[in-house]
Amino acid sequence: MRLEKCWFCSSTIYPGHGIQFVRNDAKIFRFCRSKCHKNFKMKRNPRKVKWTKAYRRLHGKDMTQDSTFEFERKRNRPERYDRNITENTLKAIKKIDKVRVDREARHHAKRMKGKKAKEQREAAKELEQSIHMVKAPVALQQEPSLTLPKIKVKVSQQQAEENRMEE
Amino acid sequence: MGGKCPHRKVKKRRLSHKTDRRSKFLRKGDDAVYEELQKPDAENKPLPVDEDLPGMGQYYCLHCDRYFATVAVRDEHFKTKKHKKRVKQMLGPAPHTQLDADLAAGMGMPDNGPKLMSM
Repeated sequence: MRLEKCWFCSSTIYPGHGIQFVRNDAKIFRFCRSKCHKNFKMKRNPRKVKWTKAYRRLHGKDMTQDSTFEFERKRNRPERYDRNITENTLKAIKKIDKVRVDREARHHAKRMKGKKAKEQREAAKELEQSIHMVKAPVALQQEPSLTLPKIKVKVSQQQAEENRMEE
Repeated sequence: MGGKCPHRKVKKRRLSHKTDRRSKFLRKGDDAVYEELQKPDAENKPLPVDEDLPGMGQYYCLHCDRYFATVAVRDEHFKTKKHKKRVKQMLGPAPHTQLDADLAAGMGMPDNGPKLMSM
């Protein structure tokens, strides 16, 4: 049983799934589902479509270089059946898969580091710049009770934001 | 590559897509054209005479995989935006292949074993 990869999105195609197209120059294109087939027919480039693996790889969203990628490959050479080797391989598959998933999670965490702080910074900036949309500046001047008294207090970023939201 | 549609009055939509549909399967894919272009001296090979093709198959545009009736028409084609766009595309990175898809899926390079016969 050979598990093929989709030409468009690079997902695994199990037997009995998807569709395959053989061009008149005998090139085979396999697709995991009609979504990928339709995108191919529309002549879309998988490198430019954001949900494909090819795009994610190219733009550093996924791991690109890893030693776990060396195990799964197309082997075009006959292998003599050996019960022990098969057993060991089946054991190794689970272990390698676990290692890869862990590494991928680490890669994702690394990539997402600092995102929350960045979002918060941007939100604070937007609030400062466009507070006039919520409350007219004249109204704030006329009624001093609306503005907070200017006292220098050491507060963390988040608390300062909450105060502004209340007014 | 739709041809001119004689009845359309609207200037922008004058191209007919009927011929495009008809010749869809005759035209080469991007990767086939790219491979053809990568071959050395692909440009100056004498073209085989084929009476079924326009201009006996002598005036051919490699990039767009099209035959033209005369040299003049072909040279006119070389000036079009479509052709220039195509040339630019073919100068870029190689089109997506099944191997690229496999590599993106986390597979290694295919293992073909040792070479049995030395060329």
